[in-house]
Amino acid sequence: MSDSDIPVDHEAEFKPDLAQNAAMLAVVCLIGLVGNTVATDATLMQGVIGFLVLFVISMVGLLLTLTVPFKLPSVAWISLVGIAMTLPWTPGSAWVLDKVSHVNFLTLATPCLAYAGIAIARREIEIARSSGWKIFIVAVLVMSGTYVGSAFVADLFL
Amino acid sequence: MDSAKDILLDWRLHASVLIITIISELIGVIKVPIGIGSILLLPLLYAFVLGLLINPNVVRKAGAWIGQREVRAASPLIVIAIMPFIAKFGTIIGPSMQQIIDAGPALILQELGNLGTIVLAFPVAVLVLGMGREAIGASFSVAREPNIAIIADKYGLKSAEGAGVMGVYVIGTLFGTFIFAILASLLATSGMFSIEALAMACGIGSGSMMAACSGALAHAMPEMEDTILALAGASNVLTYATGLYLCIFVALPVTEKLYDLLGRKTAATPDMGE
Repeated sequence: MSDSDIPVDHEAEFKPDLAQNAAMLAVVCLIGLVGNTVATDATLMQGVIGFLVLFVISMVGLLLTLTVPFKLPSVAWISLVGIAMTLPWTPGSAWVLDKVSHVNFLTLATPCLAYAGIAIARREIEIARSSGWKIFIVAVLVMSGTYVGSAFVADLFL
Repeated sequence: MDSAKDILLDWRLHASVLIITIISELIGVIKVPIGIGSILLLPLLYAFVLGLLINPNVVRKAGAWIGQREVRAASPLIVIAIMPFIAKFGTIIGPSMQQIIDAGPALILQELGNLGTIVLAFPVAVLVLGMGREAIGASFSVAREPNIAIIADKYGLKSAEGAGVMGVYVIGTLFGTFIFAILASLLATSGMFSIEALAMACGIGSGSMMAACSGALAHAMPEMEDTILALAGASNVLTYATGLYLCIFVALPVTEKLYDLLGRKTAATPDMGE
């Protein structure tokens, strides 16, 4: 097994140029817009504007990922841009909040998981098969332990 | 890797995702009551399952519609597709900044709770399941990409530790969203922990795990939706910043030490071949 077998960081690292990113993001936003229209009461126009705002936030985040020398994954930058634009003392934050309020957060994750299901590679299925039931039990305990551990510590200090 | 243009023009892939999204959203959230609480089935879970069902590596017959080309093209799109979601999450954190600052100490210290995997998973792996050194890779972290990089760097992926981390990574990829959605909805309805604490704990792991986890919590407690999402999102941002260091300087050395301590008893019957 060589270093190239390290799985691509699905949710943090990917380096096409900005225009290619913009085009792919537009496709994803269109799919999200349809999903949002199906799932919520928002009108198509409210959805369009909401997604435009989210598109701009994502693009600013991507731009920062490429230009700022301090290295953070693009999702961290996008998150920070979204936070900065909606802080109570940011001018215009009420406008941004009003526009994105028509986009349901959970609906946004649906296309992502559809891509994730299609992206499962043969090698990943093989690893799951060959790892066996012991690894499955350990994985469930790993996730439960991490989750319950975090909740437990948080509860102590709240 | 295909070029971005190939990925963009892969209409079968995008059309499939569009149809899956519509179907999943039409089904909507389903609540399944079980003894100690209820489990929430979310559209994103159906989307993942439907994606798997048309994946030729899972269902061979699906190869007639989706080929290896589409499978490869889908991978970078996961990152792109999570971006609007993360942007929306940012806009939920922003307005709640005061609340997040108030919860600051709990929010920072709960990162230490990630070591809970060592407390729960590691002893079971070594003492009950009799695993060898692969238990180190398997149970020192939630095994997302940065954690794999740590193991690859220190032991190599061909090692027993590498097999352990890859195994948990793949199980997490396949079942993580379900496990987190189930954990969150059960614990939310059981009342063992405060909802704020459960929300913060959702920030561990990957973006899709956070989505499943906080989505389940928000549906269980709709009146607290904004608080839940703000705390989960803030915790997730914090994990990007601290997770790697916690793993390198605390989690992995501690797991190593524990292995020296507990592993000795099982050293006579090394079980590396799992």
